[in-house]
Amino acid sequence: MINRFEDYFPFGKAPILILIITLLAGIFLAFNPVEKNTASLRLWTFARNHAVPYQKATPAFEAKHPGVRLDVQLVHGEAVTSRLRAAFWADLDVPDLVEVEISRAGSFFRGPVDQVGFIDLIPFLRASGMDDRIVKARLAPYTNRGRIFGLPHDVHPVMLAYRRDLFEEAGIDVESLESWEDFIREGQRLTRPGERYMIELSDNNPGHFEMFLFQRNGGYFDANGELIMDDEIALETLKFFIPLVAGPRRIGSDLGSGRVFTQAIETGYFLSFICPDWRSKLVETDIPRMAGKMALMPLPAVMPGGRRTSTWGGTMLGITSACADPEMAWEVAMHMYFDKEQLAERFRETNILPPFKDAWELPAFREPRSYWSNQSLGKLYAELAEQVPPQYTSPLIETAKTKMGGVISSCAAYYREHGEEGFDAFSRARLKEAGDEIRQYIRRNPY
Amino acid sequence: MKTLFFRLQHRYAPYIFVAPFVILFLTFTLYPLVKSILLSFYITNGPQSQVFVGLANFRFLWTDPAFHKAVWNTCLYAFCSVFLQLPASLGLAMLLNSALVRGRNFFRFAFFSPHLVGQVFVAVLFSVIFIPKFGLLNRVLHFLFEVPVDIKWLGNPNLVMPAMVLTSLWMYVGFNMIYFLAALQAVDRELYEASMVDGAGPFRQFLHITLPGIRSVAVFVIVLSTIGSFQLFELPYVMLNNTAGPDDAGLTVVMYLYQNGFVSGDLGYASAIGWSLAFGVLLISLIQMRLSGTWKTED
Repeated sequence: MINRFEDYFPFGKAPILILIITLLAGIFLAFNPVEKNTASLRLWTFARNHAVPYQKATPAFEAKHPGVRLDVQLVHGEAVTSRLRAAFWADLDVPDLVEVEISRAGSFFRGPVDQVGFIDLIPFLRASGMDDRIVKARLAPYTNRGRIFGLPHDVHPVMLAYRRDLFEEAGIDVESLESWEDFIREGQRLTRPGERYMIELSDNNPGHFEMFLFQRNGGYFDANGELIMDDEIALETLKFFIPLVAGPRRIGSDLGSGRVFTQAIETGYFLSFICPDWRSKLVETDIPRMAGKMALMPLPAVMPGGRRTSTWGGTMLGITSACADPEMAWEVAMHMYFDKEQLAERFRETNILPPFKDAWELPAFREPRSYWSNQSLGKLYAELAEQVPPQYTSPLIETAKTKMGGVISSCAAYYREHGEEGFDAFSRARLKEAGDEIRQYIRRNPY
Repeated sequence: MKTLFFRLQHRYAPYIFVAPFVILFLTFTLYPLVKSILLSFYITNGPQSQVFVGLANFRFLWTDPAFHKAVWNTCLYAFCSVFLQLPASLGLAMLLNSALVRGRNFFRFAFFSPHLVGQVFVAVLFSVIFIPKFGLLNRVLHFLFEVPVDIKWLGNPNLVMPAMVLTSLWMYVGFNMIYFLAALQAVDRELYEASMVDGAGPFRQFLHITLPGIRSVAVFVIVLSTIGSFQLFELPYVMLNNTAGPDDAGLTVVMYLYQNGFVSGDLGYASAIGWSLAFGVLLISLIQMRLSGTWKTED
């Protein structure tokens, strides 16, 4: 007699329940498909302060180009790199345009030049005449094997932000701080290790060291992609930098970023810090109480009359090879990066100086800022923009930076223990060792 | 008709039920495993651009200083896990197994609870605790021992690993304690009573009754901790702000694999690292099991 449930389905009630749930879920998904993205162009960016103005500018772009729908997507900073890489690999869900952070850009230029996931922008730059209207040095990080794969979003000149109130209290005339020598002299007078430092400088992170390196025309790689991180300029920079962060005469220290940094500024633990344009906005937002007490000055020069700036950070906008309409993608780039009115508005919101020189003449770039003791932020940064050194990149740039970080921390440790004795030879050996490691990786590259 | 239905059901239903697992296993486990073996013989720039290099990836591992550093860091961490964490876990378990301790259930839960929150949360929490100048740890150390408050736990290459070990100690001591606690509770109480009659003290009891009694669980925990230690990734990755820390002091083998595979795009070298790690862990586990006499047959 077959009439019980178990007779029809002897596997128990749980499997039948799973089957029913699966069936219901399938039916639900079939009737509620994921909304198809109907945008004709998709742009990925990793920075909220980029995405918001782009989204604001999208209706104007769409009105100018009827029938085109632009979708600006904000992707998390870390995820944008891995998602983009996965998209390139799988040739799936590749955006048409994407912004990539400068230190990650080089890793996308790996492999045969024809298989790089971005198109060469040189024809577009030449045809539009933009190649002469933007800061040339900013194309360097996105140039690889004679091709330009990215349009620079920014210039990121570097200045020195300082506690104006405390500097004045200490009787420092910033006009007289023309060279690092002048700055160090005052720094040694004011620094009290553990309580107060003249400047925020790291003894292990290569970020701060790089600015000194770039200021001296050094770098990790040259324009031909050759490794130069262990050349004489790097060695001289290292020997100059280490005593600033280690040993009895040090004037710099660091605590990290975020809340701890803002606390250090507020309490006067750091009297000054290296401040690219983007960081000036962070400071305004994170330490509103310091309004009117902060000011900016050009970076002291290596030698009197020398370069008064360097550079820190950057973003490129690339058009991917998967883009079906590169001309329209270029129009998007032009709209977002070279529309003067938009750039002016964006500068007010982000303090980021665009590389499009025509925009710098607009009033927005000349307005005094009360936070910065009524200095004209845009004018100050723009005046230094043409001096910004080029920084060349390579697929191994991140590895090179990591190795340089190791060199800095080991040299700082050596200097703390032995001082000047044998420091020259130790620094030279550590730099060479790091350079040789990178060369080992370069030799391994079959492309 | 009914007979045919039952015949088909009996024949095919088991296959249908195991099919989801088999499909998922073949797609997401077996295929990637086989593919990664093949990939380890190539230098790749993503899966589309590959150059066959034979065993060159494995040979390069022998000369790659970053890999050596990663192996050293990982071994150091694993060593500390086994020789610091597990004795601490066992000590806690013995303490909380004692009838003399009040509120044992509360403490058991309290010590176990850090494991519930996950490595990423713990890493974020401890990266705040380790902040120089304003961080909790430096403040407490300054209060207790007058040490300077600007110790850079995560900025000094010599302190990164101790910071990492301290963090994992907080996270895993309670977790391993649970295993030891279960094992201790399974040891026959009569053995202790008999040994007391024979005049054995606590140390001899521990050596001759407790340790042999929990041996199988201890071996299991040691092997598990070693394997877990060699897979270390999230903790340093989050604590060191998505980097390997100063002078690669927090670089682990899995992190190096990730950097090569997903940052540099060389899936071939990453596969070679992965398989080397797998063989290394297998070898160490076999040695551990051999030394602990797991395979010895009882007479």
